[in-house]
Amino acid sequence: MEPAHHLMKTIGLDLRFGGVKALTDVSTVLGMSEILAIIGPNGAGKSCLLNCMNGFYRPQKGQVFFQDKEITDEKPHSIATMGIARTFQGIQLFAGLSVIDNLLTGRHLFMKTSPLQGFIYRYWTHREEMRERRKVEEIIDFLEIKHIRHALVGSLSYGLRKRIDLGRALAMEPKVLLMDEPMAGMNLEEKEDMARFIIDIREAMDIPVVIVEHDMQVVMDIADRIYVLNWGNVIAEGSPDEIKKNPDVIQAYLGEER
Amino acid sequence: MTVSEEVEKNWGDLPKIFEHGVETLPQLLIYQAKRFGGHTFHRKKDFGIWQCYSFNDVLENVETFAMGLSVLGVNRGETVGMIGENDPELFWGEYAAQAIGAKAVCLYPDFTSAQMEYLVNHAEAVVMVCEDQEQVDKVLEIEDKLPRVHHFIYWDDKGMWHYDHPKLMTFAQVQELGRQHIRENPGRFDQEVAAGRGSDPAVISYTSGTTGLPKGCVMTHDNLFDTSLRVAGAIALRPFMQALSYISPAWAAEQMFGITQGLLVPFIVNFPEEPETVQENLREIGTEAVTFTPRQWESMASLVESKMLDAGPVRRWFFQWGMKAGREVNLARLDGKKIPLGWRLLYPLADKTVLYPLRDNLGLQAAYYSQSGGSGMAPDVFRFFQAMGVKLRNVFGTTEMGLFTLHQGDTYDLETVGKWMPVHPRFGPPLEYIISDAGELLVKGGSGFAGYYRNPEASAQKIIDGYYTTGDAVYMTEKNEMVYLDRLEDMRKLSSGHSYPPQFIENRLRFSPFIKEVMTLGDAQKPFVSAMINIDIGTIGPWAEQRTIGYTTFTDLSQNPDVRELIKEEIKKVNYFLPEGSKVKRFFNLPKELDPDEDELTRSRKIRRSFLEEKYSDFIAAIYEDKTEFNAEVPVKYQDGRTGLLKTDIHIEDLKE
Repeated sequence: MEPAHHLMKTIGLDLRFGGVKALTDVSTVLGMSEILAIIGPNGAGKSCLLNCMNGFYRPQKGQVFFQDKEITDEKPHSIATMGIARTFQGIQLFAGLSVIDNLLTGRHLFMKTSPLQGFIYRYWTHREEMRERRKVEEIIDFLEIKHIRHALVGSLSYGLRKRIDLGRALAMEPKVLLMDEPMAGMNLEEKEDMARFIIDIREAMDIPVVIVEHDMQVVMDIADRIYVLNWGNVIAEGSPDEIKKNPDVIQAYLGEER
Repeated sequence: MTVSEEVEKNWGDLPKIFEHGVETLPQLLIYQAKRFGGHTFHRKKDFGIWQCYSFNDVLENVETFAMGLSVLGVNRGETVGMIGENDPELFWGEYAAQAIGAKAVCLYPDFTSAQMEYLVNHAEAVVMVCEDQEQVDKVLEIEDKLPRVHHFIYWDDKGMWHYDHPKLMTFAQVQELGRQHIRENPGRFDQEVAAGRGSDPAVISYTSGTTGLPKGCVMTHDNLFDTSLRVAGAIALRPFMQALSYISPAWAAEQMFGITQGLLVPFIVNFPEEPETVQENLREIGTEAVTFTPRQWESMASLVESKMLDAGPVRRWFFQWGMKAGREVNLARLDGKKIPLGWRLLYPLADKTVLYPLRDNLGLQAAYYSQSGGSGMAPDVFRFFQAMGVKLRNVFGTTEMGLFTLHQGDTYDLETVGKWMPVHPRFGPPLEYIISDAGELLVKGGSGFAGYYRNPEASAQKIIDGYYTTGDAVYMTEKNEMVYLDRLEDMRKLSSGHSYPPQFIENRLRFSPFIKEVMTLGDAQKPFVSAMINIDIGTIGPWAEQRTIGYTTFTDLSQNPDVRELIKEEIKKVNYFLPEGSKVKRFFNLPKELDPDEDELTRSRKIRRSFLEEKYSDFIAAIYEDKTEFNAEVPVKYQDGRTGLLKTDIHIEDLKE
């Protein structure tokens, strides 16, 4: 069941790399407050779809809408400014900076003072830094990373770095959060933590979340709705229960029954 | 009996507080708020900043919450249950409950629902004040089994956004109810507080209960003030010391330290951000007063040790050199001994380069009133901190009768749990103790034992001839310091009728670097205590080489006269802390190492007592037949599985004077 009110929408996306068709006529809808999962076998086009949504890739055909405004041709940085935040499969953090500083980089959209003002460091910059630090501290509180706020990101475990990555995305105060394989490479405990944070993000901040994820258990537990991609086509859409029973999905994942 | 001048000086003006009609903690809070008003009292790190709450702020929070509780229907004499990590709200909740004549029961935050169920029902709590989602989930899980509880209150709303439950309220909502009530009934809070009496129960503190169900010990306001003043008399406490509150108020020690002394002296009570950040917070606030459990001190010590193992050789050398200087100087000073001149001269350098940075990094640079509660901490851990220059003291007592002994003054023996503390005359006669024939400590005096909650039989059993029976076996040294031996039930009886503490003796002997394993002998068939020792060839080997003592095998080394003399000296050190009948009278060194492959030790390297008694029965017989030399044959198993017979002469040493 597609939601009545939507925040984001793709219509008939086609994406090709030379002769390879990565996406074919992909239409999706993201509701105002839902956790939407995109699943599919390797090479199904899940990450391509995310990349089209935040402007990294430009589809050859089709449109992307965000809050009823077409953003298909916008640059990634202006899409980010509109409030579409994203986390990455590989972690893209500043390993040599502390957790706080990494999160503060997520706040750069909200900082108005110039480098010169920063150099002089008087009233304006001071006030701004306190304001931004407060926001960052709220995220630190939310993600339960108080004990490592001064630690260098490079010295942290993989699971924690993933959490910092999420924190930086949240620091942008996004209207929607796109997450590419948030659970990859995590142990069970880290996965449970991350799943809880994703649910909390929706509950506490009312931000819809799109996750691309391989771990079926997690997806079935936390997603409200699922799109299944195979060979660049949407082969199924529905609630976790519906997806579990869908014969096309079973075939795509388990192969044809003989 | 009058108290000494020094105690009077330590107390200073503190006892005068009680001349102003202060009998309960909430009355004290109002009194202190009048004196200190805007001065910071509680601090909690939140959003990365230490948020301050003045005496006035705390009073206002307590007042509104107390009135809120009253609106919710909490009556005088009822119980308010609380569970959570140490937070200002936890303390305010307790003061608030006491303000309206209720008592508080605090539970350990890591309790499971099943553990909570018994205590909440036994304490007859009518309201549960919980920290966060985790605790709320636990109480809601057993909601049906808690018929008396009519409201669940929580103060941290993280994760609670979509909870919808008729009995659930936030701390702030309850305070809002209180505010409305105050508007309609100004002055009611003061009336309620004024109605409190010192003999009212303030807290029920559940004892861990190694056997059977936990017992709820009632602590009255008098009990809390009494025990706080005992410590204040034994050591000069300074007002507005930076204190860190970390151990749970579920433990009586924190009721005394953070809740009562914090308000009485008063301290600036700081609450750590998270359990994981305690180490960092200790340093940030420049902690002057801190109480930890032995376990926490031990883990701090091992943190330093393990970090130093990771450090490079140069730093490690400096660390070891600095700690040696610290031991030579600080430990000698503690023992009241003369400090060698060389070390005295080098100490300032060691302090500047090693010890000061170490204290600073641990956040103990300013620590002046630091204590370990209980009896279980190894003297080596004390020595570690003392060498570093931290005056770590042990405080010992019971939940039922308050605190008894404390390491006092500048010279004290780390093997003991300290000297007896004075009692302020206002709160009763001085502590009097006797040690029963079985070695048990019996105590009376002070504000006394208020009894177990809803369990008069158990309370009555604990009192014999007016004395409270602690169940602890202790011994007083010549310098009037108390040695904690063991729980009475773990003592073993000799044929003479005397009981001795096998665990205590074995643990202390194992602290010796020269002794690897030890088993004490002595039971209902034997008249005195003796020991079989497994020497540590890893340390005695080099020791012998340094003294050009030649040896061939382990067997040879173990029977060497110098080695036997060395071990004898080690045993004498332990004997000093033992009553006459418990002293180790005879011992021998085993001619071979105890080996798990031969079933002499378990795989976790604990000695297998009955097996050893069987295997070495000839040896044991020889000890009690008063032989000094004895020809032994021990079956041994070699690594390749073959067995053989070890024949050797065993020397049995005497320690009888």
